[in-house]
Amino acid sequence: MNRLLILIGKIIVKFLRLMGRNAGNLPGIVLWHLTGGKCCKMFKIDCPIIAVTGTNGKTSVTNCIAQLFRQSGKKIIINREGNNLDTGICSLLLRHCDMSGKVNADMLILETDESHVPVVYSQQKLDTLVVLNFFRDQLDRNGEMETLIQKINSFCKTFGGNLILNGDDPNTARLGKANPGNKNVKYFHAQPYAFATQKIFEASEGRFCPFCGQPLEYEYYQYSHIGKFLCRGCGFGDYSPYITAENIDLEKHTFYADGHKYTPKLNSIYNIYNMTAVAGVAKLYNIEQSIADRVISSYTVKNGRMENFMLGDRKATLNLAKNPVGANMTLRVMNEMKGEKELLFVLNDNVADGLDVSWIWDINFSIFERVTRVITSGTRAYDIAVRIKCSGYDADKIIVRPDLGSAVKELAKTEGRKFVIANYTAVQPTRAALKKYSSEVSNEKN
Amino acid sequence: MKKIKILHMYADMLDLYGDSGNMEIISYRCRMRGIECIADTYSAGDDMPDFSSYDLIYIGGGADLEQQHISDDLLRCREGIKKAYENGTFLFLICGGYQLMGKYYRDADGNEIKGLGLFDYYTVAPSSRRMRCIGNIVVRTKFTGKTVDVVGFENHGGQTHDVETPFGEVRYGNGNCSKSRHEGYFGRNVIATYLHGPMLAKNPEISDYIISYCINRNNSEEIKLSKLDDRLENDCRQVMLDRLIK
Repeated sequence: MNRLLILIGKIIVKFLRLMGRNAGNLPGIVLWHLTGGKCCKMFKIDCPIIAVTGTNGKTSVTNCIAQLFRQSGKKIIINREGNNLDTGICSLLLRHCDMSGKVNADMLILETDESHVPVVYSQQKLDTLVVLNFFRDQLDRNGEMETLIQKINSFCKTFGGNLILNGDDPNTARLGKANPGNKNVKYFHAQPYAFATQKIFEASEGRFCPFCGQPLEYEYYQYSHIGKFLCRGCGFGDYSPYITAENIDLEKHTFYADGHKYTPKLNSIYNIYNMTAVAGVAKLYNIEQSIADRVISSYTVKNGRMENFMLGDRKATLNLAKNPVGANMTLRVMNEMKGEKELLFVLNDNVADGLDVSWIWDINFSIFERVTRVITSGTRAYDIAVRIKCSGYDADKIIVRPDLGSAVKELAKTEGRKFVIANYTAVQPTRAALKKYSSEVSNEKN
Repeated sequence: MKKIKILHMYADMLDLYGDSGNMEIISYRCRMRGIECIADTYSAGDDMPDFSSYDLIYIGGGADLEQQHISDDLLRCREGIKKAYENGTFLFLICGGYQLMGKYYRDADGNEIKGLGLFDYYTVAPSSRRMRCIGNIVVRTKFTGKTVDVVGFENHGGQTHDVETPFGEVRYGNGNCSKSRHEGYFGRNVIATYLHGPMLAKNPEISDYIISYCINRNNSEEIKLSKLDDRLENDCRQVMLDRLIK
């Protein structure tokens, strides 16, 4: 039976390839139906699997961990962004297995959607689960966030492998208590950075102890609800970290962990958390220090995560924001920069965005400093315009241009520094529009 | 100077899908007109406030867990809220806040959360958590004196029955129950609805109805609200109406 399923799957992959498609998800969907929802079970995997999950940063961390092992000379298999559901992972494995379903690799590094962790790893043995954070994201697809955490929590109750958790996020740290018998629970933690605050700065969740219901007390907040917390009622939050980021200096792009200095390219606090998780995995698997250094210091992204574009002589920085936390981070970076600037916000409400756009009301626009103009675009251009207006920003300085091309033109009209925020399905079209404008301007010059 | 006093209850626990934005919008629209807007918050376990001293009491929506957390505390406030409501304080209730003012809320596991029983409706969540009313919604309302198509976003499992005076008629979406004709609950000084978005974002008439009620409730002569520039809000709503209603 297994062989037949594998054969069918491989034929579909072959067929899609011949048609010029990438076969990222469809073969898995077919097998999902043929196997009654257990499409990952038929594979024989002898090597360790590391899964990365969480709301923000999955792709970055998965890629970095893959690099750790690749540069150590291991044969690894990794899934590309977007194919992180059971069907996507099944499609990936179909391409890498032999006819008996045996997967030939030294290591599997799999970005896994939060809601699919229990689905996939009830079918395949997991060596390590890395959980980065839980924020409100696409709530309407996942039901409510608590349901989501509960799902992963029940998985963790019987999971005895390595659990690498963000110890500064109560939503993820609580998973460490799911299985009291598991000795392989490890927390990563970060000391306060220059912009850490005593009071919570942005709307968030998880303000109460999930075990005894008391309000959580914070020594400091780094961003959103991420920070050093403790429950006075039951002691939740009192753990000794496995790895700690210390002396974080975003201006110099440095931080220390286990006494070792790292120099990441991306200087945001959330990247420091991601890289601390990566350093934790390197430590756990005894990766050579020089390799960990190289991976962490060279990692950068060109997919709309703090990506720079030149619109003529005007610099524009694009950042993806799938949720308030992502958007608030960009606003922080804007504020930490001196001088005047303009913002383009592109907001779509396609299915993959989660249809509902009310999360924009959890963005803290009242902190705007020296923002001289705002342009809004996307299928919900007016929603974001209204939201910014009601935060008290002068409505006369808001320009709505639902069409992306004209929005970018409008943005480039004036001099100065530009920032662009785009949500999930908006980010690639926005990149394309920025690139197009950028090349048109340089062609004119030549 | 004119002023309104607002009590935002459980702002720290009941705040789903931008619900707190409603308070930001009310205070923005007051500020633009020189109306002083005092907004206090109340959290579970706080000292009992003088509910009747407020013009507006606002409660947003929350997940099942949060609703369970606050339900006992809310019952403790029952007499105060009831008296305030009878004395003319306006109640603005979203989703969970709406449900908890009825007789009861029965969740997906069959646990019954007692409501305040201010109104006669009750809410039952289907046993399958997957069955939810989710999506954009358009509700036609007439109580402002004009026909207003209110646009918002609904996301609720609970099905609310026995509503005698609804907030409006569903033109697109689900409403009180799956595929139902009516949405929300309406009374002289209460608007209760499933609409998130936040609800007031694209519906300035509703904001102004509430503000106008609040500043006029103790006046013999009606104070008219000055007009604001609502072009962005109106365009925002029109884009959605064009998309949802052919």
